[in-house]
Amino acid sequence: MKSFLKSKGFREFLRIALALFIGLGLGFIITLFVSEDPINAYKSFLLGPLSRLNRIGDWLEESLTLILLGLTICIVFNASQWYIGVEGQMILGAMAAGIVSLYVPLPPAPRILLAFLAAMIVGALWGLIPALLKAYYNANELVTSLMLNTIALKLFEYVLKNFIMNEKSRSVSSESIGKEFRLGTFIPDLPFLHNIRELWIKQTSVTVMVYVVIAAVIVVYYLLYKTPFGYELRMVGINGKFARYGGINVNRAVIMSIMVSGIFAGLAGVHITLAIHNKLISNMTSGLGFEGINIAILASNNPLGVPIAGLLYGYLRAGSDVMERSSDVSRELVFVIQAMVLLLVTAERLLPVVRTRIAENQDSDNRNNGSKNAKQLKEEGESHVA
Amino acid sequence: MQPIIEMKEIVKVYDNGVVANNGVNFTVNKGEIHALVGENGAGKSTLMKILYGIEQPTEGEIIVDGKSVTFKSSLDAIDHKIGMVHQNFMLVPSFTVASNVVLGGEPLKKGLIDRERVLEVTKELSDQFGLFVQPDAIVDSINVGQRQRVEILKTLYRKAEILILDEPTAVLTPQETQDLFKAIRTLVQQGKTVIFITHKLREVKEISDRVTVMRHGKMIGTVDTKDVTREQMANMMVGREVFLNITKPEMHRAEKRMEIKDISFLSETGRPVLREVSFNLYAGEILGIAGVEGNGQTELVEVLTGLKKSAGGRVIVKDEDILDHSPRDIRLKGIAHIPEDRLTNGVAIRASIEENLIVDRYFRAPYKKGVMLDYKLVDTKSKELIKQFSILTPNGKLPVGSLSGGNMQKVIVAREFSSDPYVLIASQPTRGIDVGATEFIREELVRIRTKGCAILLVSADLGEVMSLSDRIVTLYEGKITGVFPKAAEVSEEELGLYMLGIKHQTPEEMEKFL
Repeated sequence: MKSFLKSKGFREFLRIALALFIGLGLGFIITLFVSEDPINAYKSFLLGPLSRLNRIGDWLEESLTLILLGLTICIVFNASQWYIGVEGQMILGAMAAGIVSLYVPLPPAPRILLAFLAAMIVGALWGLIPALLKAYYNANELVTSLMLNTIALKLFEYVLKNFIMNEKSRSVSSESIGKEFRLGTFIPDLPFLHNIRELWIKQTSVTVMVYVVIAAVIVVYYLLYKTPFGYELRMVGINGKFARYGGINVNRAVIMSIMVSGIFAGLAGVHITLAIHNKLISNMTSGLGFEGINIAILASNNPLGVPIAGLLYGYLRAGSDVMERSSDVSRELVFVIQAMVLLLVTAERLLPVVRTRIAENQDSDNRNNGSKNAKQLKEEGESHVA
Repeated sequence: MQPIIEMKEIVKVYDNGVVANNGVNFTVNKGEIHALVGENGAGKSTLMKILYGIEQPTEGEIIVDGKSVTFKSSLDAIDHKIGMVHQNFMLVPSFTVASNVVLGGEPLKKGLIDRERVLEVTKELSDQFGLFVQPDAIVDSINVGQRQRVEILKTLYRKAEILILDEPTAVLTPQETQDLFKAIRTLVQQGKTVIFITHKLREVKEISDRVTVMRHGKMIGTVDTKDVTREQMANMMVGREVFLNITKPEMHRAEKRMEIKDISFLSETGRPVLREVSFNLYAGEILGIAGVEGNGQTELVEVLTGLKKSAGGRVIVKDEDILDHSPRDIRLKGIAHIPEDRLTNGVAIRASIEENLIVDRYFRAPYKKGVMLDYKLVDTKSKELIKQFSILTPNGKLPVGSLSGGNMQKVIVAREFSSDPYVLIASQPTRGIDVGATEFIREELVRIRTKGCAILLVSADLGEVMSLSDRIVTLYEGKITGVFPKAAEVSEEELGLYMLGIKHQTPEEMEKFL
């Protein structure tokens, strides 16, 4: 028991729980100031997402997108590439999936499969541009990927308006994707599940994407920690000079890390197209791509932490939706609360109570992206093995 | 002589249960130069961090100037006139020397920094203690020796009476070391007390009045330096006899393994750093490169291992020119490399020991199994290596950064030696590590040489080059100035003349021995 209380996982949990608690506490104080009915407003924020089945559905749907985006960022951050082009990869992935679903004359199953494939490939290829620029011209990937986001978004709007837009529709969007070409519900059609299944289909659109996401988490975990590719990627992330000295082709690892991450951004694109919107519509990513960064940071860049972080973050977002709709507190304020929680969680040093020693944080199963002074570490280490 | 610092029964147990100091008693007298020696991981750094307030002791008492004190942070230590110069300097590179000296305690005039006074103060301090610096120079532009003086001045500006110098000579050239020693003597003459942490027993003999030896978190003893020999000190440090002189089995030189022909290298600014360097490496022989640091040794090694692109030449291994091939290609030819700077190239500090041990082999069988990396095998193999190379660690899953310098170097050595190299290029293989690890690595070098490996040894430690090498080449300003086919028969003085470019052999003289 004692060793459990001292274990790193438990401490990390405690730390995040405490950060969350304080963040929410501060949020409540703010709500006190701005709301006529603070208790109910805050209740709708905290419990709202669970209050109705359709809200639970909304929460889970958004979380799935967030988890995929978190995985995307998790991969590139493990390689210490400060790449933030997920938004662009996601929107083009969505476009690819949408075009296949709308126009390719194939029966449902192969068409959906092709939509997945197209989105994943497009996501990866879009990542190739900044990756090549970084690897061969040392162009800062932060800048190029940010620029390419804008290009991707505008490209999407252009294609949408000029080639896809449904004339009769009032909004800038394509026609709806045929029901049989969308993703089905995640609950299998078994006799004893029949009623639940009907209920969920009626009220939510949580799809088989659930399973895709679970698989994606496992794949990313194995990819990063159990394959030679993941090894290369992480060594490049920890110390590029060491990687080069050891014979790793650093350029290739950088390019591959960004491309592979694009596959998961592409999947996020599939999800928003074939599960959430069921059509291509203007502004369909709504800046979600950047939330992936928050998820990855919350999860300390550990793929196994990403689903938890994604669900948590998704919950905060869903709660903010409910709060906005059912109280006098504005959505912007909820963003403030969200930001505060994130700030507290990421600021490890802010909570001395559960602060763990640097050396302990270095455990091999948890590589965060902090750049620690090598000498300092060495000295820490010296005392370790004294 | 009255004690200025007394540390009594200091115990330091880290949160994770590691006992770094175990009942250490440490006394420093006023006005002395006190050397603190011990292997890496012996607990010296921890003890000094406690004295400087960076770490808090689990048990024990610290008495400064007769008064019992508790330091919550280094600010408390500074208040008690204790100053510390860390091994890696903590200066603002874009500021001037003077600004760095007064940083955090700038003299003010009308609430603003009094720039003239800043320069004056620095000049005064510099003159008073014979620590020559140029107050208005930007730190970025001055050399390591000067930066160290700035660090010392920083502590003096904060009125330090007791100076802790953490391995101050590790980064210095022999000339700079002598300057530092001169400065230390001046400090002591003016009433300061100096605690000097080091591995180098020669320096202990040269500079210190008394010496305290630590081993495995305990204090072994404090003695007057003049009463002990280097061998006795080494013995106290490792608790057994250390042979500073290496006994080597007779050399059996065999076939040529690497032919280096007319290698040149230009620096980024176009300055020639290597000028048509040629020599051969043979199986069963250690070829040592002797030279004052900065004469092209670093570049030579980096070109040979593919880390830098040459400006011409050839390197023939197994009938193939491998010059300017990728590090991977060169490694696949069987060339192993112990890098000069272990923290930069040699290890990935946050990666586990295991993962550091496989960087040259993870991508091929048996480690690569299908698309997966066989971590079970990695675990088994690294356990073997940890045992075989006596790497001091609870297990291989810990980050390599948790190891002491000597053990970290052993990880590198374990990796490079276990690849069964065709040629080994060892650059500064024992720099900055403790006596025990040094001895171990030197023995290993000799062992694989006797087994038939071809070794190129580059070291700033002339004693190391002379005692390990079978053949020695001197390098001066990127050119080979001499070759000595029988390393045992050449004197230090003679080598020195070639290393400093005072004497040269003609190409004809050298030809048949290269």
